[in-house]
Amino acid sequence: MKTYTMTSKEKNVLWLLMGIGIVSLILSYVLDDMPGKPRFWSNFLLNTLFFTGISVLALFFLGASLVAYGGWIAVFKRVLEALSLQIRIGIALFAIIVAGIYLDWHHLYLWAEEHIVKTDKIIKGKSGFLNPVVYTIATFGILGLWYYLAWSIRKLSLREDAEGSFGDFRFARKQMAFGAAAVALIGYLSTIAVWQWLMSLDPHWYSTLFVWYNGASWFVAMASLVTLIILYLRGRGYLCYFKADHLHDLGKYIFAISIFWTYLWFSQYMLIWYGNIGEETIYFKTRLNEYPILFYLNLLINFVIPFLVLMPNTTKRMKGTMWFIALLLLFGHWLDMYLMVKPGVLHAVHELGGMSHGGDGGHGSSHFVAGFTFPGLIEIGVFLGFLGLFLYGTLRELSKASLYPVHDPYLEESIHHHVV
Amino acid sequence: MARKIVYGLYNSEEALKSAIIEAQRKHLEIDDVYTPFPVHGLDALLGLEESRLHIAGFVYGLIGFLVAFLGMSWINTVDWPIIFGGKPYWSVPAYVPIMFECTVLFSAVGMTVTFYVVSGMGPGVKNPILHPRITDDKFCIAFDAEDVSESDAMAFFKATGADETGIKIIGKNE
Repeated sequence: MKTYTMTSKEKNVLWLLMGIGIVSLILSYVLDDMPGKPRFWSNFLLNTLFFTGISVLALFFLGASLVAYGGWIAVFKRVLEALSLQIRIGIALFAIIVAGIYLDWHHLYLWAEEHIVKTDKIIKGKSGFLNPVVYTIATFGILGLWYYLAWSIRKLSLREDAEGSFGDFRFARKQMAFGAAAVALIGYLSTIAVWQWLMSLDPHWYSTLFVWYNGASWFVAMASLVTLIILYLRGRGYLCYFKADHLHDLGKYIFAISIFWTYLWFSQYMLIWYGNIGEETIYFKTRLNEYPILFYLNLLINFVIPFLVLMPNTTKRMKGTMWFIALLLLFGHWLDMYLMVKPGVLHAVHELGGMSHGGDGGHGSSHFVAGFTFPGLIEIGVFLGFLGLFLYGTLRELSKASLYPVHDPYLEESIHHHVV
Repeated sequence: MARKIVYGLYNSEEALKSAIIEAQRKHLEIDDVYTPFPVHGLDALLGLEESRLHIAGFVYGLIGFLVAFLGMSWINTVDWPIIFGGKPYWSVPAYVPIMFECTVLFSAVGMTVTFYVVSGMGPGVKNPILHPRITDDKFCIAFDAEDVSESDAMAFFKATGADETGIKIIGKNE
């Protein structure tokens, strides 16, 4: 079966997921008694960031493989293409967040509050970069540029199907040029984007490692989601050229980047711990004091389990294990992002005087705040909703073209891909 | 323990692979196969088991990890406690880089030594070479004369189109 068609059952399941997401969003809006609805908006931002980042990293992975003559990806290249095109959903979702900054719908970002910028010396010093105008330009400019690259690679790939022939490298070379641009532009511009979207939730704090750490987190989540999509399609009888050898290599990616993620996580943590400077340690103090379970669970799920499970040769070739690990890591890196988003948002709520207790974040002691201290059912529901939305977009895009890039010069190589 | 080895050289990996299949069809027990570069699919064809070297590597790594962790814990809390930078005596984050390094060091050195011992290599060991061109451009199938008689082997080499054949006694005290 060369072309994939979405069955009505799949559509129903994905609509159901999106329905759960919408109900959860509405519930979190209604149940949120804090001013500015931080629970609703932080859930929205968290999942927008997580899934947009996954699409961006799919483009990065695709681009890097194209540049490095990584022919082995050819049999599942269409999945990466389809996923990377979902940056457009990210643009639409970010449009809501950007609109919210101007229309005062939310108070996620302290630097967007005029009275804070006037009185807060540190935020004032950063206001040349952290302001709504730069945020808007960076968000749409950068996402737009990335989307253009993803769209161009996809278009060339489809033209290759129609106009190419066996052994024709014309389109492959052009794709490679766009892939090179994608690698460089994601590499450089993601720093600006992540500073604006995510690191500025804690506007007093900064870490030079943050973007890499965050990017590694996205990479593992992307590799996990791609593995899940492929294994699902494989189970339905599509992608029959995808063999244990391809799965093995995807497993290696998940394994390697998980370790890379840990390396960056720890580098960031240890330097701050060692330096022991108050304005830096506050970031981890908040997370350790108020989110202790998540803090250690994060390391357990995202490092210890994949490290030990994926280490042997054989586990990376087993579908069952990879299902388990991919699901676990997709959720694990969502938790990681949860820890990046939620404490900063809660701190902003305290800072804006929305809650009588707590004072300034770090002294807030460990009392439970629904939807922040631990992800509740609503948070999981929103996650499922966004997952459904992005999966729907991906599968719909997949059904539009042949599942194999039939004239890709590396297809034959990929079919005979052999490791071990 | 001297062994008499009957070997044949082939020109390409395709010829080698088809010869191996032919040998297995005729139930001739192959002693070993030598190639100038790794040939894909050869392990599966010869039915070789996966090396257990990496299990040894894991154990060595674990030992290194524990040596570093327990060693530093003992030194910094019991043997010679010193306050560094106002940190507690038992400061695990500071141990992590050393734990990592010791894991890598122990597993790397341990695996190297294990590999040398298992392969019978070491200082002063002479490596018997069946034919110098095996390291260059020839693909070799070797039979032990005890398993496969010389005449059978030679007939097989002739039938499968071996480029060159030879007999060599290896492993005697030189």
